Amino acid sequence: MADHSGTVTRRTAMKAGLATALAAAPLARPAIAASKKVVRVLVVADPFYYALREVTGQFEAETGITVELENLAYDALQARLVSSSIARKPDADVVTVDQMWTGQYLDSNWIMPLDAMMKGDKDLDLADFIPEVLYSLNTWRGHFATLPIASYGQGVMYRKDAFAAQKLTMPDPASFTWDAYLDLIKKLDGATVGGKKLFGTVVAGSQPQPIVHMYTQLAASMGVHWFKEFPEGKWDFTPTINTPENVAALTMYEQLYKLSPPEAINFNWFEAGMRFAHGDIGMFYWWTPYFYLTQRDGYMTGKPSPVGDQIGFATLPHDPKHPQVISAGGWSLGIPSYAPNQDNAWQFIKWATSAKGQKAMALVDKFGHQFSDFGRASLYDDADLQKLYPYLPLQLALLKQSNGKIVRPPAPVYTTLEGIYGLNLNRVLAGNSSPSVALSATSDLFDNVLKGNYLLPYQLPSYDDTLDATKKLIASMA
Amino acid sequence: MAAVAYADGARTTPPSREKRRRQRLPLILIAPSIILLTALVAFPLVFSLRNSFYFWNLQMSPKPLGFIGLGNYRAAIEQSDFVEALRHTLTIAVVGTAIEVALGLAIAHLLAVRLVGMNFCRALLIMPTTIAPIVTGFLFRYMYDAQGGLIPWLIRTAHLPLPAQGLLGNEHTALWAVLAADIWQWTPFCAIVLFAGLLSVPDEIVEAARIDGAGGWTILRRITIPMIRKPMAFVAALRLMQIFNLFDLVLVLTRGGPGSASRTLSYNLYQQGLVDFNIGLSSASTWLIVIIVNVLIALFAVFAFKDIV
Repeated sequence: MADHSGTVTRRTAMKAGLATALAAAPLARPAIAASKKVVRVLVVADPFYYALREVTGQFEAETGITVELENLAYDALQARLVSSSIARKPDADVVTVDQMWTGQYLDSNWIMPLDAMMKGDKDLDLADFIPEVLYSLNTWRGHFATLPIASYGQGVMYRKDAFAAQKLTMPDPASFTWDAYLDLIKKLDGATVGGKKLFGTVVAGSQPQPIVHMYTQLAASMGVHWFKEFPEGKWDFTPTINTPENVAALTMYEQLYKLSPPEAINFNWFEAGMRFAHGDIGMFYWWTPYFYLTQRDGYMTGKPSPVGDQIGFATLPHDPKHPQVISAGGWSLGIPSYAPNQDNAWQFIKWATSAKGQKAMALVDKFGHQFSDFGRASLYDDADLQKLYPYLPLQLALLKQSNGKIVRPPAPVYTTLEGIYGLNLNRVLAGNSSPSVALSATSDLFDNVLKGNYLLPYQLPSYDDTLDATKKLIASMA
Repeated sequence: MAAVAYADGARTTPPSREKRRRQRLPLILIAPSIILLTALVAFPLVFSLRNSFYFWNLQMSPKPLGFIGLGNYRAAIEQSDFVEALRHTLTIAVVGTAIEVALGLAIAHLLAVRLVGMNFCRALLIMPTTIAPIVTGFLFRYMYDAQGGLIPWLIRTAHLPLPAQGLLGNEHTALWAVLAADIWQWTPFCAIVLFAGLLSVPDEIVEAARIDGAGGWTILRRITIPMIRKPMAFVAALRLMQIFNLFDLVLVLTRGGPGSASRTLSYNLYQQGLVDFNIGLSSASTWLIVIIVNVLIALFAVFAFKDIV
């Protein structure tokens, strides 16, 4: 029925809306024209993402390929990658892959080996990458699965003013043992510097990943291996977690926690790092991105830390009884096997991991300079970058001692084992368990999980995964 | 008799085609929705039931590796922290539901008072419910911060004891700190539902009781609560189920720690399914939770609805 009152009824409004939509439909265009070259990139929201998003315009200008960049939190990224891979409908052309997922993704054919693309590419300059980084992060069973966009080692950060106030000096690397580290922390604990009473150190206590990331560095330095034989030789996943070396390491970690703020039991990566940046911690060791993150008072705030100019950097302590092993971590880029734009994806990976792309990321000054996680050796000698990131020579030395496959072995079911390990380490800090009881329980649970997943005894083919094998692989690509 | 015979005859006459069509039309119209809903609800349940009998770990293989009978159920129950997680889950579900419904009822009574600005208060009250639980988690993580958080500051100001590790880092307070965040978020929802229930209580009955000399407590016990039992039972059952499945706040606030002091069944399920990607084990855990929740709700329904229906 016609409405002559001049008011708009619900029916006339709906009719008008429908008519407008129908009329506008032919005008609507797909968001991306079919002919446009696009690469969809899905990354984790780690510091490198903030630098990368500022420089993708350079890639677009050079190649004519439009970048659609999306970031997700760690857990959300993993869940999305797995679900899209199972469905064989990847929603990105380039994805960030944690080194712990590399084997699983490659074995399941969720990502494609990069060997063929790398071999035929003269612009790649593979020899510039640090071999230890490629070995730790990017290879699986003799294939390249990914290339590193952000490469992390672990090192020590300390307060120079606190050392001066307590008349302490940082030992030279040869005499910097874990016992010396603990002694220094004990001397710093309780000191008042800059009007603040210091805690000797800070640990990451939150389970499972943060505590495992920090603790396993100490444990590996003190000679602890997770398994009887992996990644080298004939793989044998018999747990070697419950050993005197690990009990000693966990006892030391417990001591470090007692010299930390008590709430550190619930600290994740960033909370531990920022506690140091806020000025009441004497010294701690952590992933190398904290070399620059602790210069700021928060995540991508751009505001300087109150102690930023007092932060010194040092190599990791070692145990004289064991060869030093430094943790390697970070993020790498890979290509889903069913990605529609694989050529564009390779162009992007090559650019983002190139010396040029990485330097451009390092020069981004939006929140202060917040990226120095290079996988390429040449950038550590770059004078411009050394000016911005004076710790680069130290960081390179740390990466050259790294072996990510020993500290956190990327074995099948790693995340399950990490969950068990993290829970039991946290129990020790909470005072619910002694180091020996916790490690005995961890070992038993590892055994159950490994047997339950048919990994013990290991019946599939092994791969003698050594640094030398990776060096040969690099040479074969030249 | 003739009339009766006529009437009987009319009743036994087959309905016309038009009438039959008219009778079936609603069923035909509603059928797609019912089929879709059944598929959406039934398919995941049946799929996860099937998976629960298979060894299927995505860390090992993208496909199921074999039928293992009740092996996943055994593994789920034999996990070292299953009993502890079940205990925590039951504790927070029962205590949290009781507190939220009791507080919700008290707030609903306040909302029923006719004062200036009450409409604004009602609108304000619904806001916590609209926030995503994960955001609530981050909000409370900052508010619990031992150094600069609002809640530790309030506790210290009130000269109450505060654990050195902070509320989230102490094994005796972590679970309750998680529950407090849930109570903050969902009590307003209980209040709004119960307020709607209170509006259905006739003023005359309350007035009559007052004239007969009944006090506020007696009116609440003898008149108000019996008359809003249906919405109360509904909101309590809903919250019981929701708190039983609480995991997002645990994830953001404590990750089940310290130790396993704040682990819940749903957090374990998250760990098994979305971190470990053990599809078989997480499917078995899902079904264990489904069974436990349904037993709880059945028990609750027997007591709460026994003389309502």
